[in-house]
Order: sequence, then C-alpha cells, then structure tokens
Amino acid sequence: MAETGDIPQHALARLAGLRNEGHPDGVFTSDFSVNEFLLVRKAGFEPVGLCVGSCIYHVGFQFAGWSSSVELDVLSTAMYEARALAMERMRAEAQSMGADGIVGVRLTVKRLEWDSKVLEFVAIGTGIVHAKGHPGFKGPKGQPFTSALSGQDFWTLLQAGYRPLEMVMGSCVYHVARRGPFAALSSIGQNIELTNFSIALYEAREIAMERMQLEATNAGAEGVIGSDLHEGSHGWSTHVIEFFAIGTAVVPLEGGSHAESIPDPQLVLSVNS
Amino acid sequence: MPGPHAPDIGRDHEARHEAWEVALQRGGLPDFVSGRLSDAAAGKGAWVATMTPAELLIVRSHGIRPIATVSGTCWFSYGRSWTEGHAEGWHEALDRLRREAVAAGANAVVDVRMRTLRHRIGTSMDFTLIGTAVRLDRLEPSAEPVIATVPALEFVRLLEADIVPVGIAVGARYEWIGYRGFGVSGGDRGSGWGSNWSSSTRQTQWQMRSWSNQPLIELTDFWEKIRREAHADLRRAAAAQGNGVLAHTQFGQLIKREQDKAPPAFLGRHIVIGTVIDTRKAAPFLPGIQPVIDMRDALSPLREPDRPRHSAYHSDVQDEEGGI
Repeated sequence: MAETGDIPQHALARLAGLRNEGHPDGVFTSDFSVNEFLLVRKAGFEPVGLCVGSCIYHVGFQFAGWSSSVELDVLSTAMYEARALAMERMRAEAQSMGADGIVGVRLTVKRLEWDSKVLEFVAIGTGIVHAKGHPGFKGPKGQPFTSALSGQDFWTLLQAGYRPLEMVMGSCVYHVARRGPFAALSSIGQNIELTNFSIALYEAREIAMERMQLEATNAGAEGVIGSDLHEGSHGWSTHVIEFFAIGTAVVPLEGGSHAESIPDPQLVLSVNS
Repeated sequence: MPGPHAPDIGRDHEARHEAWEVALQRGGLPDFVSGRLSDAAAGKGAWVATMTPAELLIVRSHGIRPIATVSGTCWFSYGRSWTEGHAEGWHEALDRLRREAVAAGANAVVDVRMRTLRHRIGTSMDFTLIGTAVRLDRLEPSAEPVIATVPALEFVRLLEADIVPVGIAVGARYEWIGYRGFGVSGGDRGSGWGSNWSSSTRQTQWQMRSWSNQPLIELTDFWEKIRREAHADLRRAAAAQGNGVLAHTQFGQLIKREQDKAPPAFLGRHIVIGTVIDTRKAAPFLPGIQPVIDMRDALSPLREPDRPRHSAYHSDVQDEEGGI
C-alpha cells in the first residue's frame, strides 16, 4: 500500500467524516487561489477577510476646443478621486478587521449602462494579518498596506527583502487636438511626424507617470514595482483618452535585504504541456 | 470488442423515469444509480475519474483511489428572487452530489465543477455539480464526504498543508433602494412587489443631473452594503462547514428602474461563491519552495495573452487618424 503518512492527522480525521468542535477564531473569507493561499501562509501571514470598497461616481462635464491639446483636469480629477475613494473605503474595511494589509487588490472601472456619466469603481482584495503579530508590515501612518501583487508575488517580494507599502497611481485625461484641413492636406503622400500628436500623447503619459512617482516618493517608498501604464476611454469622444499609471510602492524590510542569500532560480523546462 | 449493435437504447425508459421521480421526492437515488455507485465502491466494474494521468500518479502515491464520477443536478425556478434562487439551486445540487458520494462510499469528491446549461427557460435555470468521488485506502467510508472544488493535484497539496477543502458556500444578497412598491413579499424580479418603502433616491437623481464631478455617496453606500452583506452571508454559510473560504466567483449587478412621478429605484444584487476549507490556524506549510524559471514560451511575461507587453501590432490597433 502506498504511503499516506504525509497527510496530517487533522486532515485525515476530517476526511473520515469527523467534525471539529467549532472554530473559536471564526471564519475568514478571501479570493485566493489554492497556490496563493499556500504562499501567503508560507510568508507567515493568515487571511482575515475579503475587503471591498467601491465608489459610484458622477463624472462632470468639460469642454475642450477642437484644436487644443490640453489636459481635461475635471476628468483627471474624477478618475483619480473616484479610485482613491474606492481604495480608501477598502482600506477602512481592512482596518476594521484588524488586517496588516491587503494583497491581490484588483481595481476595476465599469460603465453603468443606464447613465454614460456614471462610472462604478471597485477595489477588492484579501486582508491578511501576520500570524505572529509582527508589527513591521503596516503601511503609511500605521494603516493597512495595499498591494496589487498576488499571494505568490507577495511571498517572492518578501524573499527579495522588500515589503509592499501602498498602491500608488496617477491619472491624466487628455484631449488631443484635431488637425485642421490644411495640416491634414500637407501630410498626404508623405512620411512625416505628426508632432502635435506626438507631443500630446508623450505629455499625457509623462504627467500620469510623474503623478504616480510623486505619490510613491511622498509615501516614503524606495521604489514602485509592477507598474504599468493603461490607456482607456470611458465612453468619451475619440480624441479624449485617459493615461493611468499604477503600481505597488515598496520599501526594504527592516534589517535590509541580504541579496547574497537569495538563491539563483533554477532553469526548468516542463515537458508535460 | 462491442458487437455490431448498439446496446438496448430506450428499453426501460418509463421505469427509469418513474424511479427518478420517486427518488427526487424522497431525497434519495434511483436503484440503478445507487447500484452502479456501490458496485464501483466494491471494485466491480471500471472506475471513472476526471483526473489527468499526472493527477492519477499523485493521488495513487498518497493512497487515494478514484471510484466514480458523481453529479447532482437541479433545474430551479427563481420566480420570486433571482438572487436567493441561485443560492437555493446550488444547495439542492450540492445535496444530491453528496448523496451520490455517500452511495459510492467516498471520503471526498474532488475536482467538483459548477456547470449550468446555456438554456435559460423563463425564470429558471440548470444548476449542476460534477466531480470525482475518491476513497482513502486506510479510511472507512464517510457519512459526510467532503466536497472539494479543487482538482486532485491541488487537493493533495492542500491536505499536506493540513488544509481540507470541505464544501461550497454561497453568499447572495439583493436590495432595492427607492422602490415605490407595496406588499410584504420581497423579491428582486421587480414584478410589482417591492419589499418596503425604502428611502428615496432623490439626492442621487439630483446629483446625476449636475455638471460637476461628484461621488454618488447614497448609491455607493447602498451598493457597498449589499456586497458586504453578501460576504457576511458567505462567511455564515461557510461557518457551518469549515473556517475559511477561497471565493472564486463574484457576480454583481446594479440596475436602474424608472418610476412614474418618483425618483428612479435601484436594484443591487451580488452573489459570491467559494470553496470552504477547514484548517488549523497558522498551520505550518513545510515544503520548501525552490525558485525556478520555466523556459516554456507560453509562460514568459512577454507573451501574456490578455495583457500584451508589445501592443504595436495587435489586431485591434486602430490606424485611422480619429481612433486615438
């Protein structure tokens, strides 16, 4: 018969149909996958509960001239403020659960079909707490940290000697000027840079990234990991586009990272797929 | 080798149909189902598993034997409440799956999948669970087999970490705001029967006509409350079985309904479904983890299918001047 010795006694008892006498610590909820759960545990943390924050936001109106390349600050403010509110409410729920932080945060924006000016922002993630009550993992101002990293990435980040601080973001909604008929005519049949478009997109991306970086610096982060720049249009006209930068700000663990003790990853080639 | 003729098809159709009816009424199984499953438990006939060869390898090495594919089906009408109907439909299917697992003398059902047919007839739909009943060599059959939504490979890994996936929990919640209905029998189908004279959405309506940025606090609070209550519901449903949930399915809708001579009403509904686990607090996870880099192209971050790093030649790139 095969060996079953490596299945712990508690698990075997449960499979035999025996029930526990109840759980004094209560029930946790999470949206972890199996591997995510295992690695969060391996990192020394326990999930406490799903944390959700949302914000249903009425986006104001802003006019942009046909030929002007300009940031639409009303829309930029709306897109930033709504996300920040959703994140803040999520963080407040985590705090009320006594979580040290939230991992695997997903931030989504949805247009509601019944009103084109109303957007729904949702932030959802799993609140976790250090199993031994280590106090050194909280985010800025002693609040729970927030991180877009999965449970796997969380474990790996700690191995690398860093901890997540908070998610940082920057938003810039930009109106790209339309070209007049003469300008359009002059480029027919030519390979030529359309500098006004270059500048508009370049500038809009730059603004979004600057804002994110400034937020990270202000939070006292050493760096930002997993950053990405998204382009989106939330039911606006074709020349209005949002550039949204988001990432997770990180700081070194207390005691610093010991880079020399990090094992070199082994190269493997899985042959069964 | 099978013969040239198909086995007798449709031979005892009526008898079988009747057996099903009786069984569903009594909360049992037809004889031919329980017979097939107990035969499988006794090792008569072929065992049936949804596992891959790799999974068979690892469950065999841990003394776990596949017995039979088991299922539970319930076609349920949610004529009163769509939200609560979903929870009820899954619960019934779960009971039936468990019945089959007991008949198969199982300790657990692994790889349980939630299925529904794409046919929705009126206000009803199909709730089906399918999985593989397994037995641990050194254990007696369980009167209450655990229902694990994870595949066999993950099942074994969880057991080693002293985590038992024990069942499925559903949290479901709906609520109206500003609904000018009457009567007491609440429902979320909006059939003219509101649950109460809940607060007005006048403020929201007024805000939505504005030209300036503003969060719709009233609606946000309402919507968030529903989600949180659905999560609390999930927690309660899980507490009967274990002490944790890995929620894999979240579904929510916020629907607006215009009303005569009154501000609009809103219906929010949210369903969350997860795998319930039973574990000791802070049970140690012993296996070491070795960092590896898999050299398959499909896993390379440069090839992420849903989030391409290099989007320049993606098919949906618009090349017209207006398409920024």
